[in-house]
Amino acid sequence: MTAKITNFPGTPLGEEDFAEGKVLFNYDQMHGDFAWDTGIAIGRYLAALKEGIILGARCATCRKTVVPPRTVCEWCFRPMQEYVPLQDSGIVNTFSLCYVTWDVQRIKEPEIPAVIEIDGASPLHGIMHKIGGVDPQKVHIGMRVKAVWRPPSEREGAITDIMYFKPIEEV
Amino acid sequence: MSILERDVNAPASWNGNLPVTSRYTFGLAGERFFRAIKDEGRLYGTHCPNCNRTYVPAASFCERCLSELTEWIDVGLVGEVHTFTLLHENYDGSPRETPEVVAFIRMEDGGLVHRIDEIQPDEIEIGLHVEAVFKPKVERNGSILDILYFKPANL
Repeated sequence: MTAKITNFPGTPLGEEDFAEGKVLFNYDQMHGDFAWDTGIAIGRYLAALKEGIILGARCATCRKTVVPPRTVCEWCFRPMQEYVPLQDSGIVNTFSLCYVTWDVQRIKEPEIPAVIEIDGASPLHGIMHKIGGVDPQKVHIGMRVKAVWRPPSEREGAITDIMYFKPIEEV
Repeated sequence: MSILERDVNAPASWNGNLPVTSRYTFGLAGERFFRAIKDEGRLYGTHCPNCNRTYVPAASFCERCLSELTEWIDVGLVGEVHTFTLLHENYDGSPRETPEVVAFIRMEDGGLVHRIDEIQPDEIEIGLHVEAVFKPKVERNGSILDILYFKPANL
């Protein structure tokens, strides 16, 4: 829509105008600190990650195992029966090759966010994480991957305790 | 441990920070207003001959009749306390020994929000004439804080 406009009205400003003091400005930084309550189920999930386990939850009525775990089944609204440890491997459900970082810096080597269906959870149930240790062009849907964990001493009970998922060598 | 029990060893909260920064430019009239503070130590307003009003801080357009304002007026450094408040807490919530005084200082048909100092808080009253005290010129960088505070004016 803006393709036909050659001269935009107004006063354009470039980074050098700020650096050279051509324009006055006020710089500010928001105090955007937040604390998010992990809750019962996600608290357990994070504690399990610290031990090197991906935790799910099973509903006895629906015979479904979900990951991350929750306390209530989202299909039948009954309480879950139990938390269940799952495998730290799975299948790539979908992925993307991402050539920009979260703060919009261009990068040469892509980050590969993916949804990984975790082994032990019901089909199509998985978590979002990164894929690494692989030629980006060789990533494909259906690829088998396994978690690469941080050393136990460096784990802090966070999803980043898994560094990334790496393809399992196909025999 | 039942399924509804919290794991006492689990992280209770996930703590984060939103790295939001901003850079605000003052606009065409604001740029000239703050340049005058920085370079001249003067306060300017703009006059609307149509409405017979003088806006402080200076504005590009009259907010009443929307005509462009080109008449820049040096409004001096003295204004009148329109309203004020005493702050007994700092920005971070810690208590203050002496209160900080923040006032709206009326100048022409506008005014500025700023600090008042060099006076005992219980001596301040609405209608008091106060005068801007500037930082030394070399320390000024084109900000409202180039004015340190307003002090009682010697009339």
